[in-house]
Amino acid sequence: MARILDLTSIAGAYGTRLLAELGHDVVRIETPQGDTLRRLEPHLGAALDLDRGAFHQFLNAGKRSMAIDLASEKGQRLLLALAGKADAVIASLPLLVAEDRLLAANPNLVFVRLDDGPPELCALASSGLLAITGEPDGKPTMLGGHVPYAAVGTYVALAAAAALFERQATGTGRIVDISAVECLAALAEQVWVEYSVSGESLERMGSRGGITALAGALPCADGHWMISVPPDPRGWTNFVELVPDPTFKDDASLVDEAMRRERKHEILDRIALWSEQKKKREIVEEAQRLHIPAASVANPLELVDDPQLLARGFLRPVDHPDFGRMNFPVGALASLSGVDLSFAPHLGENTTELLAEIGCPAADVERLEREGIVKA
Amino acid sequence: MTDLRPLPLSGIRVLDFGHIVAGPFCVRLLADLGADVVKVETSTRQGRTGARRNRPRSGGGTSGRTPHLAQINRNRRSIDLNLKTDQGRDVALKLIATADVLVENFSSGVMDRLGLGYDALAKINPRLVYTSMSAFGHTGPRHGWTGMNVTLQACSGLMLATGEAGDPPIGISNSWNDYIGGLHAAVAIVGALGKRRETGKGCYLDVSQFECSVATVGSLLLASAVSGKPPARHGSRSTATAPQGCYRCAGADQWCAISVESDEQWHSLLAALGGPATQLRALDLATAADRLRHHDAIDRAINAWTATLSPAEVEHRLKSLGIPAAAMRRGPDLTEVAAWRKLLLPLEGAGGSDLKVVGLPFSLRGSAPIAATEAPRVGATGRQALRDWLDLDEQAIAELLPETAS
Repeated sequence: MARILDLTSIAGAYGTRLLAELGHDVVRIETPQGDTLRRLEPHLGAALDLDRGAFHQFLNAGKRSMAIDLASEKGQRLLLALAGKADAVIASLPLLVAEDRLLAANPNLVFVRLDDGPPELCALASSGLLAITGEPDGKPTMLGGHVPYAAVGTYVALAAAAALFERQATGTGRIVDISAVECLAALAEQVWVEYSVSGESLERMGSRGGITALAGALPCADGHWMISVPPDPRGWTNFVELVPDPTFKDDASLVDEAMRRERKHEILDRIALWSEQKKKREIVEEAQRLHIPAASVANPLELVDDPQLLARGFLRPVDHPDFGRMNFPVGALASLSGVDLSFAPHLGENTTELLAEIGCPAADVERLEREGIVKA
Repeated sequence: MTDLRPLPLSGIRVLDFGHIVAGPFCVRLLADLGADVVKVETSTRQGRTGARRNRPRSGGGTSGRTPHLAQINRNRRSIDLNLKTDQGRDVALKLIATADVLVENFSSGVMDRLGLGYDALAKINPRLVYTSMSAFGHTGPRHGWTGMNVTLQACSGLMLATGEAGDPPIGISNSWNDYIGGLHAAVAIVGALGKRRETGKGCYLDVSQFECSVATVGSLLLASAVSGKPPARHGSRSTATAPQGCYRCAGADQWCAISVESDEQWHSLLAALGGPATQLRALDLATAADRLRHHDAIDRAINAWTATLSPAEVEHRLKSLGIPAAAMRRGPDLTEVAAWRKLLLPLEGAGGSDLKVVGLPFSLRGSAPIAATEAPRVGATGRQALRDWLDLDEQAIAELLPETAS
């Protein structure tokens, strides 16, 4: 497995987590004051605690922490020594260490350069994705929970994994240039394809979005449920069995999806009348029995003891050192690879052991810490 | 000038049993990284992509596919096999024996019923990285459940993590979840190929598209697991800096995003606002925390200023002052963005239109980016696939694929 030095901002941090989920040894390099990822809300404790941010706890799980002051020449030299023993460096730009020094320290490095300059919201606006998120009559809105950055991270992980796979065989590194705005723009390709072939602009559809004609989140007694009626004729016949409204049953024209698209809102409003007294679980289980794609609209709290996530090992019951007994989200790839992710490290938790690897004795670590070059 | 290097996955053979978006997109990522792909499909049951299949076919070139499917299925050969017949299955098994990766996104049980489940195929090819990409995974109490992009956006937590308090659930109006599933699966596959180099063994990757989407809100799930509360919905605001939002501009449904990241930028913004800034005089807005507290008042002042300007003008004026701003782009405006123009590749292939397609958002220095080749008609390049992968002569190919004329 490869050793990866992680110098990314939040835009890349999910990507390096995915690499840890594959079993790689990911070392998060941060300042002795702790980086912005540790400061991101929400914090799971009273005051700001650098170990208790939810984003830090999730995104840095499976990584080790090395705290170095890269503004100092001494700190830079420590990083270069670490890079000499690493397989990859993944860094948000600009990197404080000169790139030619980094590559001189290890010419066979996989070096992923992440340009994540514009803020998340601005990157989304330029990409075309903001225009398709939000209520049609309301404001465009960004995807919450820094999900756009997670999407960027998946591309970062893919680029790095591919370059590492190549290096494993050839011994040769790669420089990879990746841009957060371009990652989001790539995910807006349907906006582009639609416009370039039909001249039409895809627009935001809020709770009633989707590529199929008849799709929407509808109210029920305990929240919302989501339906998407498959485009084929069988999708519609199954649906009519679920929602026994004569308006649907008696209207043969609705077998045609184009017709359903035309009357979308009228049909969805009628389904809402049917569902508003029912509970979402009851509706969804009945729909699934009829092979209709339907689901509960869940908030993350409803997922913390989700039976499917528990059964498949995505959620793992653990005794967390700070939070006690809890179901920990190990991730979509760790649940497949079986990799046992460590909890997110304390700031500088692994500084001493990593310095020892580059020939720096414990006595020197104490001196470096007094000088503010490292935190151990 | 030194020679160009091959792409990282060159020489890796991928067999695509995918349909609709998620599976074929995952495979396209591998193809764009250099993999050699054969798509197995049946002319009697083509992949669907919802109602957009009814759209004009011009942008799909000569492939007979809709533009969206042509885009997703580029860069691969296509072989037409009816897997419900012994003959079709036999040809598939020959291809499987020589493949490195198989990708499928059928519902639970479909591949098993065709005799193409992992256990059967691992006996033929123990080095195979077999990848399933079903909605919920092939195990667990919901393994038989069906799911589509929007239902997975709903149950993964994404729609209630988006928008403001009191809003209905809010989704994104493209095939978001398919892309997220495809990306995760591609990462898992490349990881498994690396592991195979060490162990000599393939593996089964039972990817759950649901889990991929839940993982993108993993931090919020973790927070809820500890706090016992649902996460707050922040709309377009940041929790760390202020102001940040989408502001309405002159014109119909025109918007500009603004994100102030420092006190210095805030002072520049106040100067740019001119008159409307006087509304804020009585407030102490020195720090980000102060501005987060008075975000509504600040938004009113910004809106009063943006309402008379075009999004492009707001973006231009603020950027020239060093304040991050970006006009909200739609389809017609996308090519104005430099990052967008860089992504577009011409589509090559016989009878190809002048449609440009979207490439990978990263570049591997030392290699030429892969060219985008038009998706073939179903089955059009099946003989070529058999020639290339199985090293067969024309007679042997004709015996395996007697019905197709290509």
